[in-house]
Amino acid sequence: MTCAEFEEVLPEIIEGDRTAEQETHLRNCFACQGLVSDLEFISHQAKLLQSCDEPSPRVWNTLEVALRQQGLIRPAEGQPTAGSFTLLRKPGWLMVPALAMALIAFGIMRYQGGVKTQPNAGSSPETAMSADLHRGDGPIASTDQQLLEVLSVNAPSRRAAYEAYLRKVNAYVQDAESSAHSDPNDEEAQQYLMAAYEQKAMVYEMALDRSLP
Amino acid sequence: MLAAVMAAGQNRQEYHFTVGHHANLSVINHYGPISVRSTPGKQVIVNVVLSSDKVEVDHSQSGNRVDILSHLLAGADEQSGRVDYEVLVPPDTSVTLHSTTGPLRAEKLNGDLTVESSTANIEIRDISAAHVHIRTLNGPVALTNIRDGHVEITSISGDVTMNAVNGPLVQVNSASGKILYDGDFGAGGEYLLTSHTGDIEATAPAYASIDVTARSVQGKVENDFPLQPKHTPFVVKAGSAFAGTVGKAASSVKLLSFSGRIHLKKR
Repeated sequence: MTCAEFEEVLPEIIEGDRTAEQETHLRNCFACQGLVSDLEFISHQAKLLQSCDEPSPRVWNTLEVALRQQGLIRPAEGQPTAGSFTLLRKPGWLMVPALAMALIAFGIMRYQGGVKTQPNAGSSPETAMSADLHRGDGPIASTDQQLLEVLSVNAPSRRAAYEAYLRKVNAYVQDAESSAHSDPNDEEAQQYLMAAYEQKAMVYEMALDRSLP
Repeated sequence: MLAAVMAAGQNRQEYHFTVGHHANLSVINHYGPISVRSTPGKQVIVNVVLSSDKVEVDHSQSGNRVDILSHLLAGADEQSGRVDYEVLVPPDTSVTLHSTTGPLRAEKLNGDLTVESSTANIEIRDISAAHVHIRTLNGPVALTNIRDGHVEITSISGDVTMNAVNGPLVQVNSASGKILYDGDFGAGGEYLLTSHTGDIEATAPAYASIDVTARSVQGKVENDFPLQPKHTPFVVKAGSAFAGTVGKAASSVKLLSFSGRIHLKKR
């Protein structure tokens, strides 16, 4: 077994699952012995961390900088850098690179899943303005689709504009939910989420009010 | 008492409604401007110019409540359905304005003001001791000289500009519209300026007395004031957040954005 092969199964080894071949390599390789020893120590210490022992923000920032320099955190271009409300603040920082990569993958999926809309210009002022609203690329939910169908019947010239408004507020809601869920104790994140929902409610109210015959 | 006067040779109409204290006026106008000003006396005076015969004005009064509605007839569009309103009201009248295109203007009032529009320019000035509620999808909003106000603005894409606006509560919620504030934040109020992607720029004098928190998840945050540090429950990451007090911290100011740029400027 080579050192590269040994490192591939390192997580299992840290958890205590070792084959005879892995044990043999560990006995004979000084470098891998040191690596396993260090990681076992860090893993043990992380479990012992209590909330009152949480490192200062400067420590987390330093860790983040180091991980970025090593290429373990590599945000995709133009994507959220896993923001400010929580990151690297939980014990067990060994999971940080995996969490960071998962977050980046989620951001890429969301970006690829967003639909950029170019509503057709219509005769109403709202549709004329809607061409400027295509930035704001949230999804359209099934309830949104029902609202748009109502508009298609009662106020067809406004449908495109309201679809653009809905995408914009849905993007707002998505980002706000993400921030709030990442730290439920963050008061500003909760306020931000309420603001996003308020926007969504306003779009619905105004759409239904305008569509009344 | 209601009186309708037809001006000869023009499609103009004028309505007079006698009201008591704290009357309520509602004007719904799909296409065209609405301008509301205060006037002494106990009458609501509505001057109307109709652009065609494809629109008519429905009006009613129930006690202290007056309702005005532009009623679009078959074949009406933005041009033919346009109605221009100029309204004079007692200053303590509560006013509600709805319009798609606008512009909408209100000034020199101290009754509650509710304005709702899709794309109209909204201009509100010289309002005191009143609740001001504004909802817009894509129209720009400008507030000037609002004193002792309880202000709530929700905008999807319209920019919101506030000049000399203060009161116990000033709350602006924007998705992508910019929020621009120029004022001293009063004394003892709560100011919450929130955006999703719109930039937030607040300009205040050096003597402002504020407890300020500014956070942007992805955008840049800048501050021109020397802040006394304060404890925060979140990590103050340089360039993404700042928090502290200026002077006696009389007013609470929160500037929150997801990806907009935030700048607290010193005049």
